[in-house]
Amino acid sequence: MAKKTYDLLFKLLLIGDSGVGKTCVLFRFSDDAFNTTFISTIGIDFKIKTVELQGKKIKLQIWDTAGQERFHTITTSYYRGAMGIMLVYDITNGKSFENISKWLRNIDEHANEDVERMLLGNKCDMDDKRVVPKGKGEQIAREHGIRFFETSAKANINIEKAFLTLAEDILRKPLKLHIVSHPKYLGPKDFEGRCCSETSL
Amino acid sequence: MDQSVAIQETLAEGEYCLIAVQGVLCEGDSRQSRLLGLVRYRLEHGGQEHALFVYTHRRMAITGDDVSLDQIVPISRDFTLEEVSREGELYILGSDVTVQLDTAELSLVFQLPFGSHTRTFLQEVARACPGFDPSTQDPEFLWLSRYRCSERETEPTTRLGWNSAPGTWPGCARIGGGGPSFEDSRPNGKGLLVDQSSWSQDKPENLLPRQNKSKSEITDMVRSSTITVADKAHILSMQKFGLRDTIVKSHLIQKEEDYTYIQNFRFFVGTYNVNGQSPKECLQPWLSHGVQAPDVYCVGFQELDLSKEAFFFHDTPKEEEWFKAVSEGLYPGTKYAKVKLIRLVGIMLLLYVKQEHAEYISEVEAETVGTGIMGRMGNKGGVAIRFRFHNTSICVVNSHLAAHTEEYERRNQDYKDICSRMQFCQVDPSLPPLTINKHDVILWLGDLNYRIEELDVEKVKKLIEEKAFQTLYAYDQLRAQVAAKAVFEGFSEGELTFQPTYKYDTGSDDWDTSEKCRAPAWCDRVLWKGKNITQLSYQSHMALKTSDHKPVSSVFDIGVRVVNEELYRKTLEEIVRSLDKLENANIPSVSLSRREFCFQNVKFMQLQVESFTIQNGPVPCQFEFINKPDEESYCKRWLNANPSRGFLLPDSIIKIELELFVNKTTATKLNSGEDKIEDILVLHLDRGKDYFLSVSGNYMPSCFGSPIHTLCYMKEPILDLPLETIRHLTLMQLQTEDDGSHLEKPMDIPKELWMMVDYLYRNAIQQEDLFQQPGLRLEFEHIRDCLDTGTIDHLSASNHSVAEALLLFLESLPEPVICYRAYRSCLECSGNLTASNQVITTLPACHRNVFTYLMAFLQELLKNSARNHLDGNILASIFGSLLLRSPAGHQKLETAEKKKAQEFIHQFLCNSP
Repeated sequence: MAKKTYDLLFKLLLIGDSGVGKTCVLFRFSDDAFNTTFISTIGIDFKIKTVELQGKKIKLQIWDTAGQERFHTITTSYYRGAMGIMLVYDITNGKSFENISKWLRNIDEHANEDVERMLLGNKCDMDDKRVVPKGKGEQIAREHGIRFFETSAKANINIEKAFLTLAEDILRKPLKLHIVSHPKYLGPKDFEGRCCSETSL
Repeated sequence: MDQSVAIQETLAEGEYCLIAVQGVLCEGDSRQSRLLGLVRYRLEHGGQEHALFVYTHRRMAITGDDVSLDQIVPISRDFTLEEVSREGELYILGSDVTVQLDTAELSLVFQLPFGSHTRTFLQEVARACPGFDPSTQDPEFLWLSRYRCSERETEPTTRLGWNSAPGTWPGCARIGGGGPSFEDSRPNGKGLLVDQSSWSQDKPENLLPRQNKSKSEITDMVRSSTITVADKAHILSMQKFGLRDTIVKSHLIQKEEDYTYIQNFRFFVGTYNVNGQSPKECLQPWLSHGVQAPDVYCVGFQELDLSKEAFFFHDTPKEEEWFKAVSEGLYPGTKYAKVKLIRLVGIMLLLYVKQEHAEYISEVEAETVGTGIMGRMGNKGGVAIRFRFHNTSICVVNSHLAAHTEEYERRNQDYKDICSRMQFCQVDPSLPPLTINKHDVILWLGDLNYRIEELDVEKVKKLIEEKAFQTLYAYDQLRAQVAAKAVFEGFSEGELTFQPTYKYDTGSDDWDTSEKCRAPAWCDRVLWKGKNITQLSYQSHMALKTSDHKPVSSVFDIGVRVVNEELYRKTLEEIVRSLDKLENANIPSVSLSRREFCFQNVKFMQLQVESFTIQNGPVPCQFEFINKPDEESYCKRWLNANPSRGFLLPDSIIKIELELFVNKTTATKLNSGEDKIEDILVLHLDRGKDYFLSVSGNYMPSCFGSPIHTLCYMKEPILDLPLETIRHLTLMQLQTEDDGSHLEKPMDIPKELWMMVDYLYRNAIQQEDLFQQPGLRLEFEHIRDCLDTGTIDHLSASNHSVAEALLLFLESLPEPVICYRAYRSCLECSGNLTASNQVITTLPACHRNVFTYLMAFLQELLKNSARNHLDGNILASIFGSLLLRSPAGHQKLETAEKKKAQEFIHQFLCNSP
């Protein structure tokens, strides 16, 4: 049967404070691996992963952003065009949780209006160092009407589930959001709404 | 980087390089980079011709000087360029695309980079092929004559040399000439037209005789070439290139054993030549003699209807009759589903499966091939049904081959014709049609019509009577022909343990008693080809007497590949994951030697450079510094990256210099703290990641770029003041009159201005060419430091350098001496000294003071004009544009405006206040 390799292309974005484990979350999902050495992402990285949902082949293009504060004004420009945003904090880092509302404001200001959001409390394997109770994460997620998962990239807890749930939520949205793409390589440049690169050329 | 631009530079008028791709020419073990350009030439009388220009090149070809023509391949009707893959080689996503270029006389293999550009290139080439419309003329390629070599002697040396003079190609062009061909690089081993022994790579002179082919020779070859070969260029579809789907499929096929297991299914295969009769008796003795219900029935008939109507109109009531008879004769108590019925005149094939298997039957196609009268008609020939049962492809053929004992070669030919002409469409129309041989299992039944040779009728009958079938079999034509590999190659047949099925008197078991008195023969046979096939029985059925043939049946257990859904999903996931992995590995990625850059103690107009390297990974990529949102350029105005964009070959390194230079336009805001030596650069890789580079540092405030009134309040040297004070004073609003809000009374004029003017007054009043000779950069830096640190006593610099510093100082003032708001009125009253003086009085005190002070100094200079050769006009033209600056900016200044500004200054120089 001559089926298309994938029917849909979703662009997802990982944001959150520096050091909460965004890159590890992505690495776990895309490569099913975990690396303990911490290398701060200075820039924008992305990986692709093809999944099948509701009989549709979906190519996820997942963007990993630099979390450091000094890059915030730049990274927000990558929000536009994202169909789903994963906002990650570290359950062992109170500050990263306090900043959630700031990140949510950032999404309101810079992302598409109908972007699907999700909150992740990462590093849930380190329960002995936990400072953010699960209830607090659930509460803030409830207040903003978004989904919440506690995850661990290291112990591989809820990572796949979180991504698939986000993709499913996007899939459930009205069709106009979906980019039905041709089975060709789609780099970031081909992508709609990528302000930085688009406007510069 | 589009290298077609470089090629275009070398082309003549009317020739246009549509697209270029860089590839590797594979000749035996040698691998050389080549640039391939598709060149179009528009003919005068309309129409166009194409040729492939192959160049050697240095680096990324940017200009015509970088490329050197190696050979030209005209895209004639016999031209093909198609993707090839070597036997047994796995297609890997992201790997190079190997293509083979063939013309009547040459064959070249290139590796082209993976990706859409290559795909586009190949499509363009395919589109450039002339096609086979007989109404269009054969391309003549007259325009290529100018590339034909004139001097053979130059060939060996210039072939690889760089071209120095475009347009005067040395004798390196090979129009339609043959290149070396190499068997090992030709996976499909298509016919070579070149004697390989004489084609050695290291003997380029061997190529010579072929390179001067006359045009007529070329066109002759074009005309004599076959159509089928070139047709492939048109078939060349993009599906062949990089389609992930195809790769997934091919991987699934390769890993089939991982997710399938063999399960035996019982197949009944029967053949019956009914001699034009209608069914008169129950077929169960033939169809249902076994102890177990078959899973699949393949039932074939020949001579279903011998009437003219059936022959000419392909319509017969017998089809329905026999279909009904078969359906009723299937194994009792078992439900069967008809999969397909196909008939060609009297040759009919029926396929049934047990109902429960129906859902595992797919891709059912049926075709017919006539080999009868004129080799085409349907009185003889074959019909076939192909299908997929679980994961095994099966083809069932029913054939009625040519009759008569002596016609065995005709029968062999019929078999071959059926094999070659029987073609099944595939679900994916881009795939080539399937042939009989491309199936896992082939079951071939029918009245093959092979007879018994050499023995006379009586002898045959005697052997049959003795049941000496093995002895008789030795004289079987089919056995002999198979043994001679003349027919049914690779097929098996079970032992013949039944008496010949032909020819009986209808309605009896008696041998033919008609006048022809045919010798008995095993006309009706069942053969098979494929793995996991076990024949359980092979027999005839004497009980049926309707025809002059007896029906034959064979029951098989056939091992079919059944998919384990769970394992299949797992395998598919693995493949998808590995492709994702490959795709991720193909995202361009580089490593940077540094990401943070600190520029210490940046000074006004003093260049600082920091450098870093970009080390590319295995994927070629383009890099570029891109703008941040809402910004007009990729970095602040005092910064520059060199180069700011470029192309990186795999694993290559490039050095980037970040140049920091603060000039008059950027200095003021750095003094005031509104701007800082801080920036983030975004290094973007095309189709890849973005990298952020941080730039930081500190700026040493300077009087250059500081406003006049700010400097008037700075009694200390600027560098002795706290940064906070400098910021405060720089941001302070300019007021027309001192409102007394400041505790300290400002100085009349900036001390730095006084220092420079005083220095010039003392040392340079008689200096020849003052203000007209450039100063020295090093001395300027010294002057700047002296002014900013207040160490004017140490100042030792040439008069010209100080003079230039003064001009630079005035030029760098954010608000000119004649304030912007007074600019228009000054131009208007230019020539009217009283009115001009009036305008000057409206300036803020410090600006007024500076103006008066400068005018006085210039007048002093003019007093010495005999020595310094200055006159009012020179000074007015120099200072006019510095003291009066248009609020609109410098660029748009009209000559008339300039003149007025000069005139304004001039009147103050020539009239003492």
